[in-house]
Amino acid sequence: MDFFANMITGFSVALEPMNLAFCFIGVFIGTLIGVLPGIGPVGTMAILLPVTYGISPTTAIIMLSGIYYGAQYGGSTTSILVGIPGEAASVITTIDGYQMALQGRAGPALGIAAFGSFIAGTIGIVGLQLLAPPLVSVALRFGPPEYFSLMILGLVILTYLAQKSMAKALMMAGVGIFIGTIGLDTMTGMPRFTMGIPELLDGIGIAPLAMGLFGISEILLNVEHRIKHEIVTTELKHLLPSRKDWGEAIGPILRSSVVGFFLGILPGGGAVLASFVTYGMEKRLSKTPEKFGKGAIAGVAAPESANNAAAQGAFIPLLTLGIPANVVMGMLLGALMIHNIIPGPMMIKEHPDLFWGVIASMYVGNVMLLILNLPLIGLWVKLLRVPYSILFPMILFICLLGGYVINNSVVDLYLMLFFGVAGYLMRKFDYEPAPLVLAYVLSSLLENALRQSLILSGGSLAIFVSRPISAGCLILAMLMLASSILPRIRDRRKMLVEQAEETA
Amino acid sequence: MNADRWSSLFWFALGAAGIYASARLGVGHTGEPGSGFVPLTASAFVCLMALLVFLQSFERGQARSLSALWKGVYWRRSLAVGAITLAYILALETLGFFLIGFLLLVITMKGLEGLGWKKTLIISISTLVVSYVVFKVLLKATLPVGILGF
Repeated sequence: MDFFANMITGFSVALEPMNLAFCFIGVFIGTLIGVLPGIGPVGTMAILLPVTYGISPTTAIIMLSGIYYGAQYGGSTTSILVGIPGEAASVITTIDGYQMALQGRAGPALGIAAFGSFIAGTIGIVGLQLLAPPLVSVALRFGPPEYFSLMILGLVILTYLAQKSMAKALMMAGVGIFIGTIGLDTMTGMPRFTMGIPELLDGIGIAPLAMGLFGISEILLNVEHRIKHEIVTTELKHLLPSRKDWGEAIGPILRSSVVGFFLGILPGGGAVLASFVTYGMEKRLSKTPEKFGKGAIAGVAAPESANNAAAQGAFIPLLTLGIPANVVMGMLLGALMIHNIIPGPMMIKEHPDLFWGVIASMYVGNVMLLILNLPLIGLWVKLLRVPYSILFPMILFICLLGGYVINNSVVDLYLMLFFGVAGYLMRKFDYEPAPLVLAYVLSSLLENALRQSLILSGGSLAIFVSRPISAGCLILAMLMLASSILPRIRDRRKMLVEQAEETA
Repeated sequence: MNADRWSSLFWFALGAAGIYASARLGVGHTGEPGSGFVPLTASAFVCLMALLVFLQSFERGQARSLSALWKGVYWRRSLAVGAITLAYILALETLGFFLIGFLLLVITMKGLEGLGWKKTLIISISTLVVSYVVFKVLLKATLPVGILGF
């Protein structure tokens, strides 16, 4: 009964005109930035954070979530038609999707990507809906040591999956924690590292930090290259896959949806990991693995389904534990905190309208996305023709405008430019900004959990290993760190990363 | 010197500065951690990882040199965008939202990208109008008026 009562609550919120409108704006922008290479969901969410100041937290999260899962849909269009991934989670789709387009089968490739995304998205939402409430009751048993250890595990997993060097990614996590401590110490009220700048007493805002590291730095890197896109086809026929196509794709869609969903729940995991793992899994399971890489429809169906299911799964740690599984969820956490809402086990009781409203909006958003990505596919193909020389001045202007209106202060803009240049240099030197931003978001939670744990234990570090959940998380984190040092496993990890890069 | 060696030295210095500044805040002890406890731990961790990257930079056979990072790219364009952004921030409150926004869009589209005047003006003006409607009219945000007075 609860299930239906909760969904009625959810849909009554999601179907409010304002929420419907912002859900549409979210999925529309998500598809748009998924289609356009050069700007990802994190950058876009950062740019749009100021917009959320003027709307209710539920509406804000509905819109920001829409951007995230919408980008998973849109990313496939560019991967298939241009051979360049529009979004990181669509990298693997490029292999078979682009081959299908070259063979004149762009229509079925786009069609199966959209249908697969829809089916997986729906499976993911059902999973989220069913798993979140029982996990909340488990999460209520978590104390500061468990939270601390789980956050450490999340950061280690994220750095373990780093594209480049793990040492560099861990270093960035350290820098992120340090940046998160700037401002007033919440426990003692002492100002830290403010350098006499009054604007820094409240700390460095997530918007200038993320806009700089993801928005401005991406522009600075992209303008160094003359970006030109060669679209394979503009005439799209037979978007509805044939019975044979469905026969080959339905198994991979269903399997990848389930696997993708669970990989999405993992702290540090997410859509990118899910798409890579399921592609490999389907290739192994296939009766005709030789077709993979040469235009196999299962090679499009599997990663596109997995990345959408993972996008839904990633909401579980945030909504139940208050811990973001990846940097996109970190942005959502930031947006909730702006509205003084702390996600976690109590949120489902304190803000049921937000909790169930966001989940119900995903059903609505998924239907909107199916319409946007099938009948309106021609619109996105036309958008692919908009040159970067027009796009980047507009993105830059919106970043600068959005950065200013948060506090009506140019200090935020200087910070944004500073982090933009820092992000540009970091990427040049192969330091990834994602662990920095996630660690920054977790910093205050991590610090409070650590200090509370130590005060509870009277200064004994044994508190982290004497409690089973906490000890389990730390052991897992240690094993992952150790495995990255052991030469055999390190070489295997390196090989996987190189394969991914070659694919990209 | 290769790029990783340079960058690791930079991060090590930054981590060391972090340790110094955190220690001045008061570290406390494990029973009662002070304000500097977590930032000091984070800074020490940054130093440790920087040291690791520094040592790893000797292992690799094909390490990139510093100059290779900017080879074959139009780095002057990035520099120009950075300078334009700085000029925008400096002049924003004096010139106001419309004037400085218009200048930013025109300079980047016409000056940097070489678009035609017609296209530049149409896109610039429509971007300004749409962003004004979204931020000022719909979201009731305060935009700097500057010398134009609106």
